[in-house]
Amino acid sequence: MKISSVNRKLKKLQNGSYAVKEIDNMRIVSGKSSDWNEIIKACQIAVSEDKNVHVVNNVKFTGGSDKPMRIPSLKDKFLDKRTPDVLIIGGGISGASIARELSKWKIDILLVEKESDLAMQASGRNDGEVHPGIDLSKGTLKQHYVLIGNKMFDRVCSDLGVPFKRCGQYVGFTQEELKPLIEAYVLKRIKVDGVTDTYIISGEELHRREPNLNKDFKFAIYNPSAGCVCPYGLTIAYGENAAENGAQISLNTAVLGMKVKDNKIYEVETNRGTIYPKIVINAAGVYADDIAQMAHDKFYSIHPRRGTNSILDKKAGGLLSSIASIKKLEKNSSHSKGGGLLHTVHDNILAGPDAVETFEKENFETRAESIDNVFDKQKNTAEKLNKGSIITYFTGVRAPTFEEDFIIEKGRNTKNLIHCAGIQSPGLTTAPAVALDIEKMTVDMLREKGCTVKRNEEFNPVRKPIPVLREMSDEERNEYIKKNPDYGEIVCRCEEISKGEILDALRSPICVPTVDGIKKRVRPGMGRCQGGFCSPIVTQIIADFMNEKLSDVRKSSDKSVIVYGDTKEGAEI
Amino acid sequence: MKNYYDVTVIGGGPAGIAAAAEAARNHASVLVIEREARLGGILKQCIHDGFGLVRFKEKLSGPEYAERFIDLLNETDADITVLTFVTKIVKTSGGYRITMVSRDGVASVVSKTIILATGCRERTAKQVFIHGTRPAGVFTAGTAQNFTNLLGQLPCRKCVILGSGDIGLIMARRLTLEGAQVIGVYEAKSTPSGLTRNIHQCLHDYNIPLYLSKTVTRVFGEDRLTAVEISSVDKSMKPVKGTEEIIECDGLILSVGLIPENELAETLGVKIDPKTKGPVCDQSLMTSADGIFSCGNALHVNDLVDYVSESGETAGKAAAEFNASARECIDAETNSNISYIVPQKIDLKGDLSKVVFYFRSRDILKNCKLSITLDGGVVKEKKYMFLRPPEMERIVLDFSKYNLHKNSRLIFNAEGEKI
Repeated sequence: MKISSVNRKLKKLQNGSYAVKEIDNMRIVSGKSSDWNEIIKACQIAVSEDKNVHVVNNVKFTGGSDKPMRIPSLKDKFLDKRTPDVLIIGGGISGASIARELSKWKIDILLVEKESDLAMQASGRNDGEVHPGIDLSKGTLKQHYVLIGNKMFDRVCSDLGVPFKRCGQYVGFTQEELKPLIEAYVLKRIKVDGVTDTYIISGEELHRREPNLNKDFKFAIYNPSAGCVCPYGLTIAYGENAAENGAQISLNTAVLGMKVKDNKIYEVETNRGTIYPKIVINAAGVYADDIAQMAHDKFYSIHPRRGTNSILDKKAGGLLSSIASIKKLEKNSSHSKGGGLLHTVHDNILAGPDAVETFEKENFETRAESIDNVFDKQKNTAEKLNKGSIITYFTGVRAPTFEEDFIIEKGRNTKNLIHCAGIQSPGLTTAPAVALDIEKMTVDMLREKGCTVKRNEEFNPVRKPIPVLREMSDEERNEYIKKNPDYGEIVCRCEEISKGEILDALRSPICVPTVDGIKKRVRPGMGRCQGGFCSPIVTQIIADFMNEKLSDVRKSSDKSVIVYGDTKEGAEI
Repeated sequence: MKNYYDVTVIGGGPAGIAAAAEAARNHASVLVIEREARLGGILKQCIHDGFGLVRFKEKLSGPEYAERFIDLLNETDADITVLTFVTKIVKTSGGYRITMVSRDGVASVVSKTIILATGCRERTAKQVFIHGTRPAGVFTAGTAQNFTNLLGQLPCRKCVILGSGDIGLIMARRLTLEGAQVIGVYEAKSTPSGLTRNIHQCLHDYNIPLYLSKTVTRVFGEDRLTAVEISSVDKSMKPVKGTEEIIECDGLILSVGLIPENELAETLGVKIDPKTKGPVCDQSLMTSADGIFSCGNALHVNDLVDYVSESGETAGKAAAEFNASARECIDAETNSNISYIVPQKIDLKGDLSKVVFYFRSRDILKNCKLSITLDGGVVKEKKYMFLRPPEMERIVLDFSKYNLHKNSRLIFNAEGEKI
């Protein structure tokens, strides 16, 4: 749409004033409004057909204000005067996978993550689906990378020691009359978009495979290449393998500012000192546009979109063994997600997520209506879905651009910068493929700067995972316990996690000695009692290992105090 | 540890200890499997008094009460293995093969019978649909009690307690004594869930307010809890919009219900009563699976440990005397004023001379009469000033003098004024 037509359309919006102008391949929307959803609408109207042009949202929002970015309270000089070849900002799936691929080279890699662990935001708060790419059309980066990324998962997960199941995905239809239309749709996906393995199965076949799905499903699209993975498990595994191969991962490290001179970032200020990197990779998720701004290279905007998932008790795990959702033909906006049902690699059922636009980048609060909406919808996927089986729920915030596509390119003004931004679903699936391309871009950029970049001859792509004793045969388990009796001492009864596994997590390449850090690595507290029985024991094991007091152990962030110290004394502030 | 036992007790809490000692006294070879390092179960952290009033006519602390039964168990030749966790039970020709792990490795024994004394777990914040952030400082009452009493650590300085279950009331007093401020106990129901004596001794005596028909709907705080949102609820327990108030606090202690732990029982195909969430049992506390018994809080949630021990002993004796033979059961039926009854079945071929029933009323009933009829004829009547859901009732019947047959109907009727 031409700028003049966009402006005409914007004038019709009721709750604010909006105008757009196009400069340097940006469509900058300005104005003032108290209605966030209308601002989103205005920016969506402004989206250009030219994929090189991005919408930047400069509308002044008067209906609320986002809190400043969470930053750790830690302040030291640990990283001061570090001069890495590559500084990666963000320890989500993008940053961690890029760090790992770059560790194939003999270069100095530093990854900074402001939270107390990797995968603390979108990468740790999604459904873990490895997408087949069925809902994307050719021509987008998302679609390009999803097809390549999906195929890489068997190898990547086997190298990194991460459980991955190619469990397949069903999209069920209750309206028989839609069949010709859907057949044409599937044909287009195969012929035009290159999804080769998708096909339609009958309702009968569907119910033979998944007997608990809606009896009214007349047919379904089946995508055998869809799968599931533990999203934070994969991110941590990537990070650990990067660390094992020489990359430095610095947690609790926030980028607070940058100095840019002659179109080059030459100084990056953090709470742990000032860093002088050769190249900066922006993998900062919802804050990618803020990082771009700091680097004088903002040409896109991120508009946060939250989604809530519920996890069901393993007892409900028999509901389905794959991924399923219902599709009705309604005029849905292309990116609104109604979620689905997924049998996770840990044998829980996951329901969700929903999709709600929000101006808050880090508000992870859950709301009753999110869960109600997902359950109302997904009861049509499987009638037996029951809220009573919920053991927990969580909210994540996606980081889309208004074009709803990824931004994977070098800085437009700032020359030593690479953006890996706008990463949202299917960002987990695409990460292995995106990381390879960013690896190449980085190496080329370093060489252009005159650096000699050599292979890291010691690079080992294989990460040895922490043994999972509950999945072993009795004989194998017995051998492990004989070698290390801690493997025989069960700490978490719901998930059957031993003290040995917890100690392994504490000794892993990226030690995160918090209750949540241990929970994400080896799962104590992930079960139906949600840590009711084991959290005091886990707290104690961490304190003993770290040789610190119980009151020094944290749930997650450095301010998330669990206990205040000895009774009575602890009451004194 | 031997290869074969007559009776294996899973769980070394009050029910399991009593069951094991009783089985051993009845000449069975007995194994007790406990996952923690010490016997005693949750009693270890219950350092308040009031245990044993029924049984010993004394006010004991939890550890003291447990100690009495552990002493009795130690007088028998029962084998005890601690820090041992059962991973699998499968039926074999001679009974059941139980696989377990401990620091010594993976081991297995065959047992003619099993007593499941696995206790219960606490309902969590998410299971009562509390929304908001996920900060530190939200504890179930039992977890807070563990931190306070076993680890000697203060879990909060200024807290709200949600739920008026007994552990919540006990923790209100306990945290007050340790210097924390308890803002109040909030209960979604219109009546308290805990024992009346605890309302007096734990709340009134310490001027801790109890708010009924109010619940926590949201929690705040990124790192540590900073506040909770309290809402009034309507008759169907749904929060009423517009009644929200924000209360600043750094702790939320949840006492919102206990769930019997029957995951092992379920793997054995044991039939679960949806009302008690425990196995359906006959008067010997044998479940629907032959040779599998249930007792204590795994069977149904008790208010008094004295009855937990009693049910353990019933199961222990029956397991020791167990001989596989066909059962012929009739149901113990109730009218709608009774929320549940245990045992749910009477085996006509079992001992009928002393059948102990436990039951709870659905609502508070005043000037109540319980009448128990067998095939239309009244076998027992009992009057109660009050029947209250938080207070479990116990009644003993002798059926040996009646002619029970497979078509007999045994019905418990409670009638009274609803208030």
